[in-house]
Amino acid sequence: MSKRAPGRLSALAAACFAVMSLPVAGFAQEPGLTDKTIKIGMFAPLSGPNMAYGFDVANAARMYYDKINKEGGINGRKIEVVLEDDRCNANDLVAAVKKLVERDQVFLLNGGSCSAAVVAAKDYVVRSKIPLIMLNASGDGALYPPTDYIFGAFSISQYAVGGAIVDFAAKTLGAKKIAYINHDDAYGVWNLEGSKADAEAHKVDLQVESISPTITDVTAPFFKLRAVNPDALAIVTYARPAALLIKKAYELGFNKPIILSVAGTANLSQLAENVGSKDALKNFYVQDVLADLPGGPKIKWVYDMYKEAYPDLAAKPDHPQAYMPYGIPSAMSIVNALKDAGPQPTREKVLEALKKQHFDSGVMAGPVVFGPQERAANKSTIFIKFDGTNQVLQPGVYTSRWQFKG
Amino acid sequence: MDLQLALLFLQQGVASGLVVGSVYALLALAIVIIFRTSEVPNFAQGEMLMAAGYVALYLFVFRAMPVWAAIPMTIVVAFAGAALFRRVVLTQVAHASGSPVNLVIATLGLSYVLKGLVRQTGFGDTPRSFPALVSTDSIMIGQASVTRLDLAILGTAVIVMAAFFWMFGYTKLGRAMRSVGMNPKAAQLVGVNLNRIHTTIWGLSGAISAIAALLISPKLLMTADMGSVVTLGFAAAIVGGFASLPGAVVGGFIIGIVEQLVGLFVSSRAITLAPFLAIMLVLILRPQGLFGGRVVIKKV
Repeated sequence: MSKRAPGRLSALAAACFAVMSLPVAGFAQEPGLTDKTIKIGMFAPLSGPNMAYGFDVANAARMYYDKINKEGGINGRKIEVVLEDDRCNANDLVAAVKKLVERDQVFLLNGGSCSAAVVAAKDYVVRSKIPLIMLNASGDGALYPPTDYIFGAFSISQYAVGGAIVDFAAKTLGAKKIAYINHDDAYGVWNLEGSKADAEAHKVDLQVESISPTITDVTAPFFKLRAVNPDALAIVTYARPAALLIKKAYELGFNKPIILSVAGTANLSQLAENVGSKDALKNFYVQDVLADLPGGPKIKWVYDMYKEAYPDLAAKPDHPQAYMPYGIPSAMSIVNALKDAGPQPTREKVLEALKKQHFDSGVMAGPVVFGPQERAANKSTIFIKFDGTNQVLQPGVYTSRWQFKG
Repeated sequence: MDLQLALLFLQQGVASGLVVGSVYALLALAIVIIFRTSEVPNFAQGEMLMAAGYVALYLFVFRAMPVWAAIPMTIVVAFAGAALFRRVVLTQVAHASGSPVNLVIATLGLSYVLKGLVRQTGFGDTPRSFPALVSTDSIMIGQASVTRLDLAILGTAVIVMAAFFWMFGYTKLGRAMRSVGMNPKAAQLVGVNLNRIHTTIWGLSGAISAIAALLISPKLLMTADMGSVVTLGFAAAIVGGFASLPGAVVGGFIIGIVEQLVGLFVSSRAITLAPFLAIMLVLILRPQGLFGGRVVIKKV
């Protein structure tokens, strides 16, 4: 036994060294981070009826990460993406987030195309202290009051949707009295709050009617708004009530400008069909959040990049999906924050860098701006005159004045 | 609000309320005829309307079938589908258990099946318009503005209801239906074929839903969830008296007008609430409904 003691001792010493050295290595590297790679957990609706909200948005973010990898990565590290399907459903989304964090051990999360679903992950994300940078969901319910961990609204904050419409109606259409119709849910409350801030700044009289998203007959709310003799009608609803209101306005001979928020514009050709007559769209404007008309010269590079990255998908009739470009500014923010966090990034360093992001993506109408209290990336929009067939970009960018006051 | 505006709102509320109320009345009628003869509230009535609407849309828009063929074919399909459900599913459920609760659950099942089928086709993914068969040009009645389509909806609904009442009151089939509603065992003893009558009633209920769908679809946008409009049909049936056919019709018009007046005089937010307040009031003040007759308590 004594003869074997020195061997045992050296084995014990080696084991002690190994045990002592393991935690050191563990603390030195954050989850999802190696000398060569950064693991990003993505989630989006990749199947199901809401696939159009995020499938190509996730593809856009991935093609941007691929571009960064081809250029050498970030401080020598290549981006590795683990992608999960959230089906725009709160249960599936939370399950996907937990899987990415606990099993795949990702460094940060980049996902969420549907606001109601992504808000459900808020508590878990904050508890896990993992950065979540949304894809294209507004997700205001998770952004305000601000936490250290969640950033979003790369498409636009719901607070800014209504405010930007008021800004456009007042500046461009010279409206002094605006008939404003929104939903009687949380989204309606948020966009009305932003609208009031801009109405106050422009000294505009805002006449508001709030309706249920499931309303079947819009005669009463429309009549009430028409009775106040407004200079313009702002419709801040989903596509179905919006089409009913435009149709009713046409039936009743309303000829003042009608402005439709971005929430109701997912399919403009279907909208033109649903309102029944092109004459209903004679004085009609739609809000958009891109820097140009879809496929326009300013953002053509995004569509070209998509064609190169996904030639098979691009050949299909419904691709790229309308919201595809929204994935770029989200991915850009992550790449910029990772670069700013330096060669030894930690989650805390990245979160601090995210709070200081201020850059123009070249894709969206306004710059990405975060701050100590600011978690919504975009508050700017453009407006397009739409006559049922043609889209004409209106000059200028319109930004809501709304700020979170705590 | 000044008097002139109040008068305008009142006239508009009544005119628009009569139009939408006529469709609620048709739906209430479809619900009540089933309930009167089988004591089963059909919770798939809205989805039967929705499915019939999509059948019409498919025939009329996607198959470019002429109106004169698409409309009767839609009504026939709705009649056959509802009758088949009664004959194949409900009869089996009744034989297996006999509990009315199981029959109600079967109707709930049908509602999910129909909604799922429409979603499966892909037509229900986006709100779609159903082309109006009558012009949507406005005309003034007093100070109220209605469209020609509105008048056509009201006129058609009234004609369908009148035809139905005539059939129910003056034909052999109608008398058989009434007898099954009053006392099925006695009706069977005098030679009425219960199964045939129940199947015909379900078929008629489906056909009425199809007519309601053809009338209301150009005003709503079609989605797989459009069947939720049946809630207002149930409200109309409860207000009028769940076992009364004239009550269902009057209830439909009341709900339609109340909805509009509440929206105009109280708040747009209250539009969806108004029918339920009307139900609560009726249930508290006159539980049998406005035309429901005396409350009968069955002793066990």
